[in-house]
Amino acid sequence: MKELQIKNLHVSVTTEEQGQNITKEILTGVNLTIKTGEIHAIMGPNGTGKSTLSQTIMGNSAYHITKGDILLNGNSILDMPVDERARQGLFLAMQYPAEIQGITNAEFLRTAINARRSSKNQMGVREFIQELDKNLKLLDMNESMTERYLNEGFSGGEKKRNEILQLLMIKPNFALLDEIDSGLDIDALQVVAKGVNSMRNQEFGALIITHYQRLLNYIVPDVVHIMMGGKIVKSGDAELAKKLENEGYAGLRDELGLDIDLVDEA
Amino acid sequence: MNFNDVEFIQDLKTMSDRRHEPQWFWEQRQKALSQISSLSLPEIPQFDFYDWQLAEVIKPQLHESISSKISNDKSLNVIVQKGQTTIAIDLDQEIKNQGVIVTDIFTALQKYPDLIKKYYLNQAIRANEDRLTSYHCALMNSGIFIYIPQHVKLKQPLMIKIIQDNTFKQPLIHHLLVVAASASQVTVITQLTAQGDQKNLSNCMVEVIAQTDSKVHFSAIDELPESTMSYLNRRAVIGDRAQVEWSIGMLNSGPTIADFASELEGREAQSNAKVIAISTGSQRAGINTRVTNRGQRTIGNIVQRGILLEQSQLTFNGIGHIIHGAHGANAEQENRVLMLSDQARGDANPILLIDENDVLAGHAASVSQVDEEQMYYLMSRGIDAPTAQRLVIRGFLGPVIAGMPDNSIQRQLIDTIERKLINGQKYN
Repeated sequence: MKELQIKNLHVSVTTEEQGQNITKEILTGVNLTIKTGEIHAIMGPNGTGKSTLSQTIMGNSAYHITKGDILLNGNSILDMPVDERARQGLFLAMQYPAEIQGITNAEFLRTAINARRSSKNQMGVREFIQELDKNLKLLDMNESMTERYLNEGFSGGEKKRNEILQLLMIKPNFALLDEIDSGLDIDALQVVAKGVNSMRNQEFGALIITHYQRLLNYIVPDVVHIMMGGKIVKSGDAELAKKLENEGYAGLRDELGLDIDLVDEA
Repeated sequence: MNFNDVEFIQDLKTMSDRRHEPQWFWEQRQKALSQISSLSLPEIPQFDFYDWQLAEVIKPQLHESISSKISNDKSLNVIVQKGQTTIAIDLDQEIKNQGVIVTDIFTALQKYPDLIKKYYLNQAIRANEDRLTSYHCALMNSGIFIYIPQHVKLKQPLMIKIIQDNTFKQPLIHHLLVVAASASQVTVITQLTAQGDQKNLSNCMVEVIAQTDSKVHFSAIDELPESTMSYLNRRAVIGDRAQVEWSIGMLNSGPTIADFASELEGREAQSNAKVIAISTGSQRAGINTRVTNRGQRTIGNIVQRGILLEQSQLTFNGIGHIIHGAHGANAEQENRVLMLSDQARGDANPILLIDENDVLAGHAASVSQVDEEQMYYLMSRGIDAPTAQRLVIRGFLGPVIAGMPDNSIQRQLIDTIERKLINGQKYN
């Protein structure tokens, strides 16, 4: 069993506004422990720091940790660059994947898979193609997608599927899925959920970030966390997500007696 | 000693005699020799190379280069020259039967003097253009002549390996003349390398005469070492409805100036120039890629991609010149450079000179750094930073690499680029 532990995490972001650098604290003390074999979901209103959390765990340099720690199997990963965190078993399915022309999807996938293997244990072409075919089928993706340039000219839905294809090919220990449901129609949502569910086993844990409960009908989480104002304010089982769907974030906030402004509140 | 010393002229004359050059050719050399000092250097906008010794006075000598075993590949249509020595010309019998001429330039001077007189420095490049063209004409010491007769369409490329012999002090002044007669087709691939570690000059010219309805794909991979200072001048004259494709990987490590030009003379003539350059170390390189639209409804495209590492400097000029009377001409260009080091200096300059109203012309240029988001994305999949950077760069160069005429050359170009990048990244 492996464990990803977030301890009292405080994160700020510096943006430039009218020539002035403004530093804003986004995460204000997040505590969270995910073990392999578990699927966690984080729900929360816009602007509450859900994406910040996933980007910070992955090591995006735009986010500055001012306090707290991130531990993978008991060891801090704060000093590790992004690529090393990935090789240690973390994966982030991004909301806005980069487009890179000139590199085919297939070539990229093989490079990524072999990056985490020793030089003696590189995945051969045959094994790679078998694995790729299997996963393309599972995700209802056309073979031609693998010869296209990485994400270039992909539709929103194609990009999301491609993120899940990478997840299935790379097989990380922990996946952070950042709004993989946004912009997907119901059929595509089911396909994406099928992909994630196929990963469910004792060697895999996931943190699903979403606005809506709908995705959680297809990927049923073991634990649901509600995030507001940069920290987790309530945790529970899958029922918590359904309750939230009925009452809304404002209802939960008032119930918990929190003093938080919701970005989209009229 | 200078070019006009009696002794220097005598040395050159001896060399000319030993090669049995015709009298007119000797007179052409002599005339060019007398002009070297008075002509100015060619112009590469935004690039200062006026203190470079590109017209060095070195006693001209005949020199037989020792042919080390080149490679054992049995592929046909390979021409190998090292220094002033022609090591191999292996041609398919079928090509010979079609009347194709492939020979070293001095043999051509004896066997086909009329063809050489008609085309050599007489239609594309002229000896009296500047100091380096006159230097070339006066002192040319190695070369190849290729003639594709009318209607002959060669399927297999002609592979030309030119090796500068840097085991002794003598410049390589090489001339490759390609004449594609009407409705002929040919693909020529050149590879320019060096052996030995003497500091030398390289002055290499290519003239392509693409006659009516012909198609020429000229591809070059230049890999001259740091110890070679080079001047590359490649120019095509393109006739009615003829097409010339250039695919050039300028991967020299030493100081380099280059002038790649297409003269669209005929009606509906076309050219497509794709150029990659990578500069490393403290290298300085200035490249002009030019298209001149003279004929009506001519089309000229330029795509240039440059990568700068370490403290190098690279200037890419895209020069589009549309001459008055070239109705319906079309000239497009795109020049982009990517800086991998904040100590490098890069320029991408589109220069449009348009003397005709009825034309289409467009340009794009950029100087940028490696995209941080792309790097982050690749690294988030476990790919280390140097590999991620090379993938992003390969993507950036993709449009030009894809233009290379065959897969093995594409592969070779990618490998050479990777090697150069890996070396350059070490020091960043």
